[in-house]
Amino acid sequence: MSTHVEPLPASRHKLVALAGNPNTGKTTLFNALTGYRCRVGNYPGVTVETRKGLIRSEDGLTPHTLLDLPGTYSLAAHSADEAIVLDALLGELSDVDVPDVIVIVIDATNPRANLFLATQILELNRPTVVALNMVDLAKKSRVHVDAEVLSQRLGCPVIPVVATKQMGLDLLCQAIDKADASPDVTVALDWPSEVTSAVEVMHGILERVANGKDRLALKAELLQTLLGDGGYHEQRWAKRCGDDFRLLLRQQRSAVVKNGDSLASIEGDVRYAWIDRLIEDTVKRDEGRPTGTARADRILTHRVMGLAILAILMGACFQSIYAWSTPIMDAVDSAIGAGGALVSAWLPAGPLQSLIVDGAIAGVGAVLVFLPQIVVLFLFLAVMEDCGYMARAAFLLDRWMGLIGLGGKSFIPLLSSFACAVPGILATRTISDRRARIITMLIAPLMSCSARLPVYMLFIGAFVPDTQFLGGAIGLQALVLLAMYLVGTIVAIVVAILVKRFLLKGDTQPFLMEMPPYRWPKVRTVFHRAYEQAREFCVSAGTIIFAVTVVVWALGYYPHAKSIAVAHDAQRQAVTAEHEVVLLEIERGGDGVATSLDEQTLEMQAKLSRIDQDEAGEYLRQSVLGRMGRWIEPVVAPLGWDWRMGTAVLASFPAREVMIATMGTIYNLGENEDEKSVGLRDKLKASRHADGRPIYNLPVALSVMVFFALCCQCGGTLAAIKRETRSWRWPIFTFVYMTTLAYIGAWLTFVIASKLYA
Amino acid sequence: MVSQGVRSLRQLRAGDSACVSAIANHRTGAKRLADLGFVDGASITMVRSGKPCIVRIDDRLVGLGLGHQEVILLSA
Ligand SMILES: Nc1nc2c(ncn2[C@@H]2O[C@H](COP(=O)(O)OP(=O)(O)O)[C@@H](O)[C@H]2O)c(=O)[nH]1
Repeated sequence: MSTHVEPLPASRHKLVALAGNPNTGKTTLFNALTGYRCRVGNYPGVTVETRKGLIRSEDGLTPHTLLDLPGTYSLAAHSADEAIVLDALLGELSDVDVPDVIVIVIDATNPRANLFLATQILELNRPTVVALNMVDLAKKSRVHVDAEVLSQRLGCPVIPVVATKQMGLDLLCQAIDKADASPDVTVALDWPSEVTSAVEVMHGILERVANGKDRLALKAELLQTLLGDGGYHEQRWAKRCGDDFRLLLRQQRSAVVKNGDSLASIEGDVRYAWIDRLIEDTVKRDEGRPTGTARADRILTHRVMGLAILAILMGACFQSIYAWSTPIMDAVDSAIGAGGALVSAWLPAGPLQSLIVDGAIAGVGAVLVFLPQIVVLFLFLAVMEDCGYMARAAFLLDRWMGLIGLGGKSFIPLLSSFACAVPGILATRTISDRRARIITMLIAPLMSCSARLPVYMLFIGAFVPDTQFLGGAIGLQALVLLAMYLVGTIVAIVVAILVKRFLLKGDTQPFLMEMPPYRWPKVRTVFHRAYEQAREFCVSAGTIIFAVTVVVWALGYYPHAKSIAVAHDAQRQAVTAEHEVVLLEIERGGDGVATSLDEQTLEMQAKLSRIDQDEAGEYLRQSVLGRMGRWIEPVVAPLGWDWRMGTAVLASFPAREVMIATMGTIYNLGENEDEKSVGLRDKLKASRHADGRPIYNLPVALSVMVFFALCCQCGGTLAAIKRETRSWRWPIFTFVYMTTLAYIGAWLTFVIASKLYA
Repeated sequence: MVSQGVRSLRQLRAGDSACVSAIANHRTGAKRLADLGFVDGASITMVRSGKPCIVRIDDRLVGLGLGHQEVILLSA
């Protein structure tokens, strides 16, 4: 034997899939392994899209690619996210190869329930590693899992880890790197002989269709299909092989249930029987575990107290959005105004100065002012998610959601839609009831997302009186804000009922959802989540909003006709000349002059400023934007809007974030230099029709807000609905119904509010 | 054909435990329940009864709507 050590050959690059039950810490593990932190949440199904990252490893191991999958309890897929897991593990996702290694994450505090999925995955006959996560919690609850024996019995490495403390990750990485062979001992379950022979028959017939597939994997897949309950497996095969397959399946199923078994419970019976024997040899638990979750649930899931607490939480959220962020917002607002003034002083007047001050600073700045609110909203949602409360909210509301034909599960996507409808729509993948899922997607955009918040804040701040009730505990402004959120919600309820009644009829599936144990929200996770959202908001402000702002600025600036300047220069000269004359008179000491020198100068300055204002307004009216605006004015006039508002709303159809930026730009363009540093809110208050009437008052403000509450001004949402429903029908439906309702709603609001306000 | 003596999860009172005897297979969704561990002999405890209810199975708390409660039959 030679003493010299062969350098380890660098292993081939692998695709590693991370699978497991919901809430086993997959996302945390993914982040720990890749160093790329993404959204983590403590409710079932928070990982809704497949995510990829490179595994960081120090010891010169190949940086394998890690694929994060949604959580699932079984490979018998019924919902869209479960179908994604199945497709990914079988290598049938369009953009992902067959994984070279599957890492099964098992929650060490509850191994029995987690092993069901594990045995299913092991049968796929891929190189597999089990990550036994949360061993810290298991220790605390006095559950001891013998990893070694478990590893022998499952035929694959079992590595104890603590994802949150990054413990055991090196060993896990090494095991992943080494995993080349299929599980040593294929989990041998005692299937009834009818089942085994039915699978053989199906295998014999379908082998040709699935050419090149691993024999055992194909058998495992067919077993699932046979024992499945109308799920995704069946649909896939039927799509591939048509009615012949359905006939074959029906024959084989009747052969299996001949002896009186119920088809649905065969798989559970067999697997859990095997798991129970395994648990006997590998898991020891002491009784008398702490039950913090049970105590908390006694109150939080109580039908009266629980709902009251939920209502208080929601109310506190809205009040805090208003109360906490207003001072910060004011500070940001004045900083932006000062920035604009500074740049105006530095740069010579002309297109460049206008682009930066009126376009970039006024436009993007107007949006950035609202960053504090959005951070508060996201912090709130992140805490609810991370501590496990979200599932309880779904539980409490199931009965109420049932009244509109949805289930409690729809609550989570709808609540996240208050932040943004796009992740909300993706989160509907956990809903296995197809009709309920589509309805949830259709009404998700009616939940007032964070991009609407700036519009509400702007108009409420400017036009709703700051009246306080109950000694300052509740403010009228916060109530109006709440009302805006309610408008969308109430309309959503009506739409859901109507769609269920006329378009998507059928029974609602009963509620079925795990209530994860409560965990203290991790400060890092929560702040990271809010930070990511804030960053995304700033990035979109810096890109889309900036681009639209520049376009709006250009349309509002050009043609910038010389003739306007010439005409106003003449007026200015006239004023100055007149002033000179008066000055001379004063100097001559004519006693007919009543005014002093100072007064004269002031008067002249006022006149000049009015001319400047006039000139700026004239430029805007003559601009391309101004002409377009007057063209659409008849359409928006019934809603009480002027052309500038109409233009801003039109510009914000692709993305409503653009609204405030566009308003900022339009109003800055129409201003003379002195007023540019004043915030948009004050400009709206000060803006007048030609006859001196204020353009905006409470009814107009309410009409604008209602329009925003109901309108579908978001390309991203429509694209998400298109992708998730795989049809154009539903996005078009959503756009049409929301825009129509928005117009009618805004019109009604304006008419009624004007009557009351007059 | 559920005989008189057989009761479903719906009749289980909060705090009480029982064993599953069968899942009545007359609705889709039975497979999901079985996969979650609601199989013959599994021991479950009612944590909060009602529509929906919360039960403990293994160490997992699961919320179940009425439709599911009715198909989970308990042994006496
Ligand atoms: N104590 C402890 N908590 C963990 C561990 N891994 C994850 N968690 C927590 O478990 C919760 C769910 O984790 P998450 O990664 O969202 O699970 P997923 O649903 O499987 O993606 C989070 O609150 C995590 O902070 C662990 O090893 N120990």
